[in-house]
Amino acid sequence: MKQLQILTLVLLGAFVSSCEEDYLEPALTSAINGSNFYSNAEQVESAVINMYDGLQGVNSSSGNDNHATQIEFYITEMRSDNTRTKSSEGEAAQFESYDVQATNGIVEDYYRSFYNVIFRANTVLANLSAAGSSADQFEGEAKFVRAYANFNLVRLYGAIPLVTEPISPLNTEVAYTRASVADVYALIVSDLTTAAANLNNDYRTRASRSAAQALLAKVHLTLGNYADARSLLEAVVTSGGYSLESNFSDVFYDEGNSETIFAIGYSPGGLDSQNFSAEWLNAVGRTAGVNYVTADVRAAFEDFGGNRSAVSFRQDASQPNQYQVAKYFPNGELDAPYVADPTKAGNDWIVLRLADVLLLHVESIMAGANETIDPAALASFQAVRDRAGLTTPVTIVTKDLLLNERRVELAFENHRLFDLMRLGVAQDVLSAFSTANGYGFTSTDILLPIPQREIGLSLGALTQNPGY
Amino acid sequence: MKILNNNTLKSMNLPFVLLVNFLLLGAVSCEKFELPEAGSIEDLTPPSANFSAVGTEDYLTYNFSNTSKSATDYVWTFPGGSSSTANEPSFTFPSVGTYTVALEASDKNLLSDTYSAQITVVEPPIPPAIAPEVINGDFADSSYDAWKIASFTGGTRNPYNGSSDGENLNYDGSDNGSKTAGAKWTNGTKAIPLTSSSRFAYQAHTISPGRDYFIEYSYAVKTGGADTDRVVVSILPGHYSEGQDALAATPIVEVPSTAILGKGNFTLAKERFTAPESGLIAIWMYGVSTVDSYIDNVKLYPAD
Repeated sequence: MKQLQILTLVLLGAFVSSCEEDYLEPALTSAINGSNFYSNAEQVESAVINMYDGLQGVNSSSGNDNHATQIEFYITEMRSDNTRTKSSEGEAAQFESYDVQATNGIVEDYYRSFYNVIFRANTVLANLSAAGSSADQFEGEAKFVRAYANFNLVRLYGAIPLVTEPISPLNTEVAYTRASVADVYALIVSDLTTAAANLNNDYRTRASRSAAQALLAKVHLTLGNYADARSLLEAVVTSGGYSLESNFSDVFYDEGNSETIFAIGYSPGGLDSQNFSAEWLNAVGRTAGVNYVTADVRAAFEDFGGNRSAVSFRQDASQPNQYQVAKYFPNGELDAPYVADPTKAGNDWIVLRLADVLLLHVESIMAGANETIDPAALASFQAVRDRAGLTTPVTIVTKDLLLNERRVELAFENHRLFDLMRLGVAQDVLSAFSTANGYGFTSTDILLPIPQREIGLSLGALTQNPGY
Repeated sequence: MKILNNNTLKSMNLPFVLLVNFLLLGAVSCEKFELPEAGSIEDLTPPSANFSAVGTEDYLTYNFSNTSKSATDYVWTFPGGSSSTANEPSFTFPSVGTYTVALEASDKNLLSDTYSAQITVVEPPIPPAIAPEVINGDFADSSYDAWKIASFTGGTRNPYNGSSDGENLNYDGSDNGSKTAGAKWTNGTKAIPLTSSSRFAYQAHTISPGRDYFIEYSYAVKTGGADTDRVVVSILPGHYSEGQDALAATPIVEVPSTAILGKGNFTLAKERFTAPESGLIAIWMYGVSTVDSYIDNVKLYPAD
């Protein structure tokens, strides 16, 4: 009898222990989910591709979709002195007049899109153990994308929540705590350093070593680390993989060209298409026309543009007093009627190209001073101007000349606002522009508001930026 | 009250007296209790003042970026007693130094907050001017190439006559102990009157626009010629590929020799000039001497 009792106890013990693991939470065998999907390199690579899909954004008219890069021009270029809406209507017009509301849907769309991109990058990083020999490559790509998203967010929204692993909606602590700007930049620098070490230069529409170096250099310039920036930029220039296109138009209409360092790829017609090309025309997209060219930037083109002017903008044929961007005509078709659907265009969005790197090189040598005569800086500056047909020898580059050169070389590529901020002249330039046009710029307009929806969801834990 | 009761009540009606009493009571209660009026709430978002200063192209002038919260009115106090009520003023400091700027931000409930910060105004460093390198400035290289202009219609591209009768000093100023090489012009290669064998030395340089430079050289002119015998070194405002164009250009500065001390007796000539806006200049040298004249150790360097 006593033996039987012991036997019962042993059996009971066995049952109890078998219940511990997954008796109540058995592994799902009939379907795939996020926690059991990633088991080999191919599957992890699908998560890598998914990050770039997040950067592309959804080509749709639904306010609930994440439009990511496709709406970036609203909150960058249209808040600079380069572009505006054609008819000053709707929430899109808040940007040009520096009257952005915390409830603005585009501000919220971009914020949510780029945190979604960060989520996708963190998913890759959380599943690297399944990637085998590709783990280093995928880690580099994921950290590049995460850094790119964080860099855009911190420049646009200021101190942002810092999300370093996949989080669920219940993880409100991370999602609604603003990290310090310094902490955000520390993660960006560390991510890009890893990316530059892990990647090679195989791709132009996926992350590469040169792309990571160029982006890291831009981060260093933003932080004032000029020597670090210079050596990275020189590494990109001497890598041998990139050269200036002799014809400026080919930069935009010959995709995968030798000047492109990193672009967000789109292809026409289907799910991977974009609609910003159509929005920038006269009532071809949903809007009457946005990202229209200001008189202010046309004056800069007159003085500094050279042969870039004709490639960069043109007169609107149906409204001759208006001018539209010419760098991204849908699918490269110059005039309606379009062969393909212009709202499903395939033009890639160029994030980094060699001309940008050369001008950043000048900036790194100028190192915060007002001018430079360093021969290396003059040579980089001259190379960009030579391509534009402006071959007069350059003997000095001042900060103003550099800003104007960047403005016309990189016009309508979402650089202008960040350039003004990085070179410390945003308040000076934009308040003069605002006064001349009767807008209401104050220095707090340099940062966007934290979307009101986020503040609401956080139950007040997220604080708003000054001035909103 | 008794007097009032006795004398006045008769001529006043009761409601009026009550009203006066209520008014008195009301006034008294306002002084006694500091309670907000019914229906109002406390100001839960008092102003918080904050700002940052942003430098501009003029290093003495700063733009102020107002990052105060929950405020409607601002008073800025700047050094020297000046103030501003603008939202985002700019201010020009009198000179370099450290200054205190204060911002008082208030709302319409008359709550206010003050923030002050020290602004340190420093003069930005002036970058060094380009230090050009004069090629074959000591004429030690027997090739004339560094001093030849690309073409010279109706003239010669030969820049000077070779000579071993240069200055005893090397280019770096040290004593060579004996003569060095130099450039020479003879009666046959002199520039005035202009002939097809007049020789001109030309060398193009790029220097920092608007900055001051020195052009310096040593010369010797043989005795026994005319009183006007001389050599001339000038700075031309641009780069030229044709000798006739260089000849027609008006120099920025012209430095003729002044002494005639004989062969081998060198004198230093030096002149300051300001680089043109383009930064493009050329050294242009020639002899105007019926007897032999010499130039050596041509130097071009920033004034500071």
